[in-house]
Amino acid sequence: MAYVATRGGERAIEQAERLYRAQMGEITPARVAEIERALPHLIDRVMGEASLYAPDLAALALAQSGGDLYEALLLLRAWRSTQPRLQTAAPVTQEVTLTHRRISAAFKDIPGGQILGPTLDYSHRLLATEVLEGARFVPAPVEKAARPAPACHPSLADWQKAQGLVEAPALAPVARDAIPDLTKEPLLFPAKRAHTLQSLARADTGGMLALGYSAMRGYGNAHPTVNELRLSEAEVIVRHPDGTEFSAGRVKTSQAEVVTTKGEGKLRLGFCATLGWNEVKTIAGATLDLNAPGAPKGSPVNEEFFLYHTEPVESSGFCIHFKLPHYVTFQSSLDALRDAKKRRETTEEPA
Amino acid sequence: MQSAPQPDAREIRDNASFHALMMALSRPGEVQTLPEAGFAPLAQALLDRECRVFADDDALVPVLRATGAALVPLAEADHLFVALDSAAAVRALAGAAVGSFLYPDQGATVIAPAQIGVGPALTLTGPGIEGRRTLRLGGVDPALWEARRRLCRYPEGVDLFFVDGRQIVGLPRSTAVAEG
Amino acid sequence: MSLDTLTRPWKAFSYGFLDASAKREMRRKILKAIAVPGCQMPYASREVPIARGWGTGGLQATLTLVHPGSVVKVIDQGADDSVNAASIRRFIARVSGAATTLDTLEATILQSRHRVPEEKLRSDQVLVLQVPNPEPLRPVEPNMSVARQMHADADYGRMWLQLYEQIVRSGRVMQGASYPSLVNGRHVMTPSPIPRWDVPKLNMAEHLTILSAGREKRLFAVPPFTRVEPLVFDDVPYRVEEHGALSCHRSGALGFFMNEIPQEDGTARYEISDSQLGVKHLDGEAPGETWYRDGEFAT
Repeated sequence: MAYVATRGGERAIEQAERLYRAQMGEITPARVAEIERALPHLIDRVMGEASLYAPDLAALALAQSGGDLYEALLLLRAWRSTQPRLQTAAPVTQEVTLTHRRISAAFKDIPGGQILGPTLDYSHRLLATEVLEGARFVPAPVEKAARPAPACHPSLADWQKAQGLVEAPALAPVARDAIPDLTKEPLLFPAKRAHTLQSLARADTGGMLALGYSAMRGYGNAHPTVNELRLSEAEVIVRHPDGTEFSAGRVKTSQAEVVTTKGEGKLRLGFCATLGWNEVKTIAGATLDLNAPGAPKGSPVNEEFFLYHTEPVESSGFCIHFKLPHYVTFQSSLDALRDAKKRRETTEEPA
Repeated sequence: MQSAPQPDAREIRDNASFHALMMALSRPGEVQTLPEAGFAPLAQALLDRECRVFADDDALVPVLRATGAALVPLAEADHLFVALDSAAAVRALAGAAVGSFLYPDQGATVIAPAQIGVGPALTLTGPGIEGRRTLRLGGVDPALWEARRRLCRYPEGVDLFFVDGRQIVGLPRSTAVAEG
Repeated sequence: MSLDTLTRPWKAFSYGFLDASAKREMRRKILKAIAVPGCQMPYASREVPIARGWGTGGLQATLTLVHPGSVVKVIDQGADDSVNAASIRRFIARVSGAATTLDTLEATILQSRHRVPEEKLRSDQVLVLQVPNPEPLRPVEPNMSVARQMHADADYGRMWLQLYEQIVRSGRVMQGASYPSLVNGRHVMTPSPIPRWDVPKLNMAEHLTILSAGREKRLFAVPPFTRVEPLVFDDVPYRVEEHGALSCHRSGALGFFMNEIPQEDGTARYEISDSQLGVKHLDGEAPGETWYRDGEFAT
């Protein structure tokens, strides 16, 4: 009897969950620590999409979900949503961040210099199969430069603005405590600039790449040139109740600025930043931002279109919700379909 | 996951205050009971730093400030705690936010003191009311009803609550009010 | 201000999971939704520990309303034993300590996906419907900003046109569930994907209905005694599913919305969709007053 199956249903879902968790086995502090140490780029990606900067929690979420990124994100977002917002940290500008990597494709050299920093860009992507045969892969030690690069670098866009090359958007000063927060208020369109940037920062890396790539290939109206790509660490400056400002720590951040030369004699900028180091996401996001002004509704570079469809928790949740039973709605449509068929057969009968 | 957390006194009161507000607005003119008398429990159930609030009573200001809400002029407020017992107060209400056809939710919530069950009779019709309902409301300037009609160009408008001790009634913008 | 005022004793999660500020936002939005029946109110929509699209909107409404004295019923497709309903019910009980029930008449809060129970709801009960897509205009206008403007202008011409085209093409309105309905004579809403059978239950009802779409971040409401009129042409009446004459092969209950169960021999059997009403029939327990009597909506 299905009617008495309520307890049976609950037992089934409990056992299904056990089956899933059995795959990962015991989760120990050592496993979580190893995930955090071994997979910094995955941790960064998850922290950015969760908009929660907490490497240990991100590693724990990955351990619990067995590496299912969307499940890990949901764990972190649901945890984040219950945390009180204590303060808004001081805004940071590019030139004060501790810059590890900063490159521009727009110029051969730039004020402050091209700083390659850590990257696999020019490496040969060869699997180190010797590890599977019992050898160790020991990375070659980094050799120090004769002269250390400065910790901070100026913004290239600032130089361009000074040259009158860039259309500088009008500053809209907003009090630190009044910065709109996407997680506390709904996203409405046309979106507040803060909401747009926050949505891009939280967006799904893969989803943003897909839509950004479509714009790069030709479904956008502007071809991006990477003006400045920057991986940094930013100080989180908060205010002590006595008024003193102090750093509560640092977070890794990525920022990409892309430009187009199409325009009224000036460069136009697209921007994207996120928590953690994630270059693909910020370049794709900046490309969407660049293409958004004036984009037709329903095109992939329309702001409403890409912000809605790159939200990772919403898109993945909705996708998997189709596994839920839909037999009532199906029944309802079937009823209409059968009735329409009956009517057609009746009217088609020869008189 | 741990066992069910227990609600503290504040949680219980906020939940009960909101239940009264929700029922009062769902059944316009039907008296609901608040867990505690006065405006403070209502402010605490509804307001925080996301809100902008206006009060005409200085005694209420510390309570409102403690919620984290910004104290702003009447026209900028999303929540108003005001007496509506004089023609001047009713005139001031004309400046309240009514939202827009696009975003009717931006119309203000107005909470006012009144005497419920005494005073002139009002006949209410609209959503939440089976047929019609009579409400007697004292301590409210009669000019309010005409002012309210001008404010509430449905779906724009303000939503009113009248509080009398622990009693509360609601008049959402969807209610038509006839005097008599 | 001192550091003490900024911090609080650490708790794994708040009562009812949602933190106080999330609940306050829900409260403010529920009030506005009641004040303008059928109008979609945007809200921030916090992430909760179930996936988006799985009832997070309904869950946030329920978690805002719930207290230790609440009695909660959760159904999916009319059934209490559906796995997701069971999961949500367990979660609500776990974070709120509220009692749960399978009996429609005992519940103070009923959270449902795709059905309104067959037994009449009372004025002291709140129905919370999970909503996947809050926008009835989506089939004719996928852009939310444009659709919002259409609601502002009460511009439902394309909606009517779509229904008209269906009648011309198929001889009837082909809308299955989610039948677009005019609320309080002003806003067209989707009643969520409840079957056509259930829409009249929202019209001039005793109870309050809250409809909440967590993923899409929209909340709307139908207060008691509010007109909910399915969009129909004067000469083409509204028709519910033809289930009035069907009876449940298990419980014998007759004249309620049924699930069709295909059989290996090519025929179909029917079982009642409101699972607990079926149980009452099986147990010989008298059900409460039902909206439908003898397969007809009792006005």
